[in-house]
Amino acid sequence: MIDVFSYVPAIVLLPFFSFLIALGVGKYLPKGGAFGGIAATAGSFLLSLWVLATVAGGEAANRTLYYWASEGGAGIGPTDIELSFGILIDPLSALMLVIVTLVALLVHVFSLGYMNDEGETGLPRYYAGLGLFTASMLGFVVADNLLMAFMFFELVGLCSYLLIGFHFREPGPPSAAKKAFLVTRFGDYFFLIGVVAVIATFGTAQFAGTESFPHLAEAALAGEGSVAWTPAGVELQTWLTVVGLLVLGGVVGKSAQFPLHTWLPDAMEGPTPVSALIHAATMVAAGVYLVARMYGFYALTPTTLAVIAFIGGFTALFAATMGVVKDELKQVLAYSTISQYGYMMLALGAGGYVAAVFHLTTHAFFKALLFLGAGAVIIAMHHNEDMWDMGGLKAKMPVTYYTFLAGSLALAGIFPFAGFWSKDEILYEALVHGLNDPLLLGGYLMGLLAVPVTAFYTFRMVFLTFHGEARSDTARDPEPVRWNVKGPLTVLGTLAVVTGFINMVPVQKVLGLEGIDLLHLWLDNHWGGIEGLSSHHYADIGPYSSGYLVGGEVGTVLVGAAVSLGLALGGLLVAWRLYNVPSPTEHTAKLGGIKDVLYNNYYLDELQVWLAYRTEDVAGGANTFDQGIIDGVVNGVSSVSLFGGSRIRRIQSGVVSQYAALLTLGLVALLLALGLSGGWFL
Amino acid sequence: MIEALIGFTFAAALLVLLAPDEWAGRLAFAFSLLPFAGSLYLWSGFESAGNALTGGDIGYMTQIEWLEVGGRTVSWFVGVDGISLPLVVLTTFLVPLAIVSAWTPIDSRQSQFYGLMLFMEANLLGVFTALDFFLWFVFWEAVLVPMYFLIGVWGGPRRKYAAIKFFVYTNAASLLMFIGFMSLTFALGGSVSSFALPEITGAIADGGLGTWFGISPDRIAMVAFLAMFAGFAVKVPIVPVHTWLPDAHVEAPTPVSVLLAGVLLKMGTYALLRFNFTMLPDQASALAVPIAAIAVISVIYGAMLALAQKDLKRIVAYSSVSSMGYVILGLVVFTEYGVGGATFQMVAHGLISGLMFMAVGVIYNATHTRMVGDMSGMADRMPVAVGILVAGAFGYMGLPLMAGFAGEFFIFVGSFAAPSLPYAPIFTALAMFGIVIVAGYLLSAMQSTLFGPFELETDYDVGPAPFHDVAPLAVLLVAIIVLGVAPDIFFEMIRDAAVPVVEGVTING
Amino acid sequence: MTAVASSIPPEWYLLLAAAVFCIGLFGVLTRNDALYFLMSVELMMNAANINFVAFALYYGDLTGQVFALFVIALAAAEVAIGIGIILVLYRNFGVTDVTVPTEMRW
Repeated sequence: MIDVFSYVPAIVLLPFFSFLIALGVGKYLPKGGAFGGIAATAGSFLLSLWVLATVAGGEAANRTLYYWASEGGAGIGPTDIELSFGILIDPLSALMLVIVTLVALLVHVFSLGYMNDEGETGLPRYYAGLGLFTASMLGFVVADNLLMAFMFFELVGLCSYLLIGFHFREPGPPSAAKKAFLVTRFGDYFFLIGVVAVIATFGTAQFAGTESFPHLAEAALAGEGSVAWTPAGVELQTWLTVVGLLVLGGVVGKSAQFPLHTWLPDAMEGPTPVSALIHAATMVAAGVYLVARMYGFYALTPTTLAVIAFIGGFTALFAATMGVVKDELKQVLAYSTISQYGYMMLALGAGGYVAAVFHLTTHAFFKALLFLGAGAVIIAMHHNEDMWDMGGLKAKMPVTYYTFLAGSLALAGIFPFAGFWSKDEILYEALVHGLNDPLLLGGYLMGLLAVPVTAFYTFRMVFLTFHGEARSDTARDPEPVRWNVKGPLTVLGTLAVVTGFINMVPVQKVLGLEGIDLLHLWLDNHWGGIEGLSSHHYADIGPYSSGYLVGGEVGTVLVGAAVSLGLALGGLLVAWRLYNVPSPTEHTAKLGGIKDVLYNNYYLDELQVWLAYRTEDVAGGANTFDQGIIDGVVNGVSSVSLFGGSRIRRIQSGVVSQYAALLTLGLVALLLALGLSGGWFL
Repeated sequence: MIEALIGFTFAAALLVLLAPDEWAGRLAFAFSLLPFAGSLYLWSGFESAGNALTGGDIGYMTQIEWLEVGGRTVSWFVGVDGISLPLVVLTTFLVPLAIVSAWTPIDSRQSQFYGLMLFMEANLLGVFTALDFFLWFVFWEAVLVPMYFLIGVWGGPRRKYAAIKFFVYTNAASLLMFIGFMSLTFALGGSVSSFALPEITGAIADGGLGTWFGISPDRIAMVAFLAMFAGFAVKVPIVPVHTWLPDAHVEAPTPVSVLLAGVLLKMGTYALLRFNFTMLPDQASALAVPIAAIAVISVIYGAMLALAQKDLKRIVAYSSVSSMGYVILGLVVFTEYGVGGATFQMVAHGLISGLMFMAVGVIYNATHTRMVGDMSGMADRMPVAVGILVAGAFGYMGLPLMAGFAGEFFIFVGSFAAPSLPYAPIFTALAMFGIVIVAGYLLSAMQSTLFGPFELETDYDVGPAPFHDVAPLAVLLVAIIVLGVAPDIFFEMIRDAAVPVVEGVTING
Repeated sequence: MTAVASSIPPEWYLLLAAAVFCIGLFGVLTRNDALYFLMSVELMMNAANINFVAFALYYGDLTGQVFALFVIALAAAEVAIGIGIILVLYRNFGVTDVTVPTEMRW
C-alpha cells in the first residue's frame, strides 16, 4: 500500500521547483519556462486528485514533518512550544488542494495564450512568480498549524507583490503591488499578534488533534481543562474573542473585506491570468479558507462570529454597489470578487461552514472562468479594457461568450448554475440562524440586497461586452484567440455549470432525497476525516439555533430560494432592459452624485491615501525632531566643549613668564588648600 | 584555537598592510577566508552546554595569567558558548563578503583599507570571545580605531564629522560603561580575585556585592546597571542616543557600512546581554517596564524616521535602530524565546542589514547617487542586483522563511506572555507594529527607485553590476534563507546558553 | 661629618633652603631674560639640594646625598640643553627675552 500522504509535500514542492527552474534557467527554455510550470501544476493536480480519492476512501493525515525550531527546554515564559511544519489532510484541505491545483494549471495554460503569444518580455520571471504563488498557496492549504499557515500566508502576499508588479517598467503596477502588500500587511499585523497570542495562550498552534488549540479552547471553556496563559485580569471567553478577532485581521486583509478591500481593485494592474489566480484560488481565498480551517476555534466565540457575519454581509453589499458603475471589465470583476468573498464570510459568521466552503469552491471556478474570459476579451481588444469600447463580441468569439455567460449566470446566482446553489445555501443559513439573532439577520438582509445588484452589474458587463453593436474598430475586428485560451475556458465553463450539483441541499430538503448533498457529507466526515474537524462538530459547539419561517424547514428553503432567485432575475432583467440594446448609454450617470461616490469607491482610497500622507507628515515631524532636538543636543554638547576649549586655551599665551607665574600661583593655591584642609593654620 | 584565529587575523592584517595596492583586495579576501574556515571548524566541534558566564562549559577555552592590577589578575581568557559562537561565525562570514564588495568602490590606498578591515575583524573576534573584562575592554576599544580611519579616510563628503562623532560618542559611552563595571568589581571587594567575567558573575549571583564608600550593594548594582546600560545603549544604538549611526552609515563606504551594521551594532547588544542582563538580572527585571518602553520607542520611532528619509543608506540605517529595538525587547523579557530570539535576531539582522547596505552600495556604484528622487526604474538596468535587493528588503520586513522573521517571531513569542514584564502583550503588540511601517518605507523606496520607467541623469551607460559585486549579495541571500528555513542551526545552541540567563532572574510577585 | 654641622638645628637649614628657593622663584617671576631664568632655576634646585643634604645628615642616611648628586648631574645636563635652547632662541629672534617669542600657543 502506497502512502499517498507522504507525497503531499511533493504537491507543494513541484510548483516550487518550477519556480526555481524558471528563475534559474527559464530564459534558455522554450516559452520562458512555461512548460515546467504546466508540468509541475499538472503533477500537483494529479497528486491532489489522488489525495482526494484517498480521503474519500476514509483516510486522513495530521503529521508533523519538520521542526522549524526544536522544542524548548526549560526557563520561564512559554516553553515546550512546537514550532513545526506538517500536513493536515482532511476533506476540507483535500478539496482545496484540487481547486488550487486545477485553477493554477488552467492559469498556466492560459498564460501561454495571454503572455507568450502576446510577446511579453520577462516571461521566466512571470512563470517563476506563478510557480512560487502556487507553491505558497498549496503550502498554506496543507498547513497543520497556525504558524505554518501564517508563514505561507505571508509568502502568498510576497508573490502577489511580485506578480501584480510584473510590468514594473510602468508606473501603475509597482504602485498597485505596493498597495496590495501594504494593506494586507496591515491585516497580517493583527494576524501575527493572533498567532503569537495563540501560541502563548495554548502552547501550540496545531489545528487538529487533542493537543490542538481549538480543542484546548473548547475543553477550557467547558471547564475540563485550562490554557497555559491568559493575560492578567482578562476572562478566558473575552480573551478567546480577542484572539479570534486578531486572527481575523489577516483574513480581512487577504480576503479583501471592508475596510481593507482597497488593494484588490488596484491589483487589476497585474496580468489577467494572475488576477484569475489571485481571485479564484489563491490569495483572496486564503482568508476565507483560514477561517474555515480553524472554524472549531471561531465557533466557540459568538462575538467573533457575529463580527465576521456582519463584515461579510456589509462587504457583499458595499462592494456590489461599486461594481455597478465601473467602466473596465476587470474592475467590475474585482468588485464582484470582494462582494462574493463577503458572502463567504457571511456564511462563516452565520454558522454555515459548509455553505462557505461550497461557495468558495463554486466561486473559484466561475470567477477563474470570468477572469480568463475577460483575459480572452482583452487579448481580442488589444489590451483595451474599457467596456464602452467593446460590444458585439458575441458573434466573433463564441467560445468565450458562452463560457463567460455560464460564469456570469453562476455569479448572478441563476438556477441551475453553480453560484445559485452556493449563494442560496449561504442566504438560507444566514436566514435560519438569523431569525434568532438580529445582528445576523442584518447580515442576511444586506446579503439579500446584494443579490439583485450582483445580477445587475454582472449582466451590465455581459451586455456591454458581448451584445449590441461594436463600439470601436478593435471590437469590430478582434484578435482571435487560440486553443490555449479556449481550452481552460471550456473546462471552467463546464465546471461553472455543474459544480452546483455536488451539493443540492434545497432539492434534498424539499424532496427528501438522501445522499445528494455530497459536500455536506464530505465535510461531515461521512467518508472519513479527522476527529473534531467536521461540520457536525462545528454545529454542536457553535452558538446558533435554527428558526424557520412559515412551513417549517421545507417552507423556509423554498421561500428563501424563491426570494433570492427572484431578486437575481429582477436584477438581470433591469440590466437586460437598460443595456441589451444596440448602442447602450451610461444609465448610471442618472444616479448623479451617488455615481461619483460609487465610482470613487466611497472615497475610501482617498481616506487611506490621506492616512498614509498624515503618517508621512508625522514621520517628517519625527525627523525634524530627531535632527533638530536630539541630534541638536548631541551637537550642542560638542559645541559647548569646543567653545569652552577655545576660551580656555587662551591661557596658553606662549609667554614663559606667565606660565611660571601660573605655576607658582597653582602651587600656592594647592598649599593653601592642603593647609586649610590639614588644619595647619589652626 | 581561538588565539590562533585572532592571531592569524592580526598577522593577515599586517601582511595586507604591506602588500601592494594592486592585489591587496584579493589577498585580503584570501586571508579572510581562513578565519571563516576556522570559525566553521570551531562550530563543527562545538558542543553547547550552558552559558559561559553562569558556569556552563566554555568551548575552546584558554586561560593564561597575564598581569595583576589592584590585587586582581588579568588573564588572556577566551572561549565561546552558544551566544558568542554564532556571532563569531557571523563576523568571519561577513568580512570576506564585505572585502569583495569593496573591490569596486575602494580605489585608493587599498592595502591600508583592507589591512584595517582585517584588523577590525581580529578585534571583533576578540570582543566576542574574550571572557576577561580587561582583555574584552582592550578589544572593545580597539575596534573603534580602524573604524575611525575607515570612515574618516575613505568616507563621503562629511566623513570627518561622521568619524569624529562616531568615535567621541562611542568612546564617551565606553567611559561610562567602564566606570559602571569598575564600581561593580570594587564593590565585590575580596570576593573575586580576577577580572574573569564568569567569576564576577558568580560572585554577584552569590551576593558578593558589599558596601562600598557607604553605598549599599543594591544601590551600587543599580548605578552600575544604569551606567553600563547607558554605555552600551550608544553602541546598539537605542533612541535617543542613536544619532551617530545615520551619519556614520551615510559617510562610510559600503563595505564599512556592512560591518558597522552587521557586526558592530551587535557588540552593543551582545555586551548588554553579557553584562547587564546576565550579571545583574534582578536590576534588569526591576527596570523592565522603562527598558521595554525604550525598546518599543526605538522600534516605532526608528521606523518613523526611516519613513522620512530620502537617502537609501539613511533609510537602512534608521531601520537598524528599529530592528535593534526588537533585540532589546527580547532581552528584557527574560524568557527563553525572548533572550534566545534576541540573540538570533542579532545574527539575522547582521546578515540582512549587511545585504541591504551591500545592495544599496552596488546601486550606488553604478549611479553615484543614493537619493530616492534621483533615479527610478533601476530594475531595468541591473535586474539581478535589484532582484536580490528586493528579496533582501522583504527579509527586512520579516518575510517568513527568511532569517529576520525567525528572530522577530521568537522575540514576539517570548515577550508576549512574559511573566517578568507587566503589560507584556501590549508592549509586544506595539513593537510588532514596526513590521507594518518597515514594509511601508521599504516598499515606497523600492517603488520609486527600482521600478517605473528608467530614469537617471548620467553621461554614461548604466549596465548590470559586475559579478564580484553581485556574488556576495547572492551568498548573503542564500544564508538568510537557509537560516530562515532552519533557524535551529543557531537557535538550538543559543537557547542552551540563554536558558541560564533566564533562570538567573527572580520575578517579583 | 662635623659636629658643627649637626649641631645647627634643622630649622636653619630649612630656612636657608626656603630663602634660596624664594630668591630663585623671584628671579623666575620678575626677569624676562632667559639666562636669568636658567640661573634662577639653578637656585631653586640647589635649595632642594640643601634640604636633601641636611636631612641626610640628620637621619644618618646617605640616600639624600645620593639624590643631591643626581640633581647636580641633572642640573648640569639641563644647563647644557637650556643654553642650547637659549642659543637657538637668540639665533631666531635676536634676543634672549622670553616674552618676545610667543609662537608656541593656541
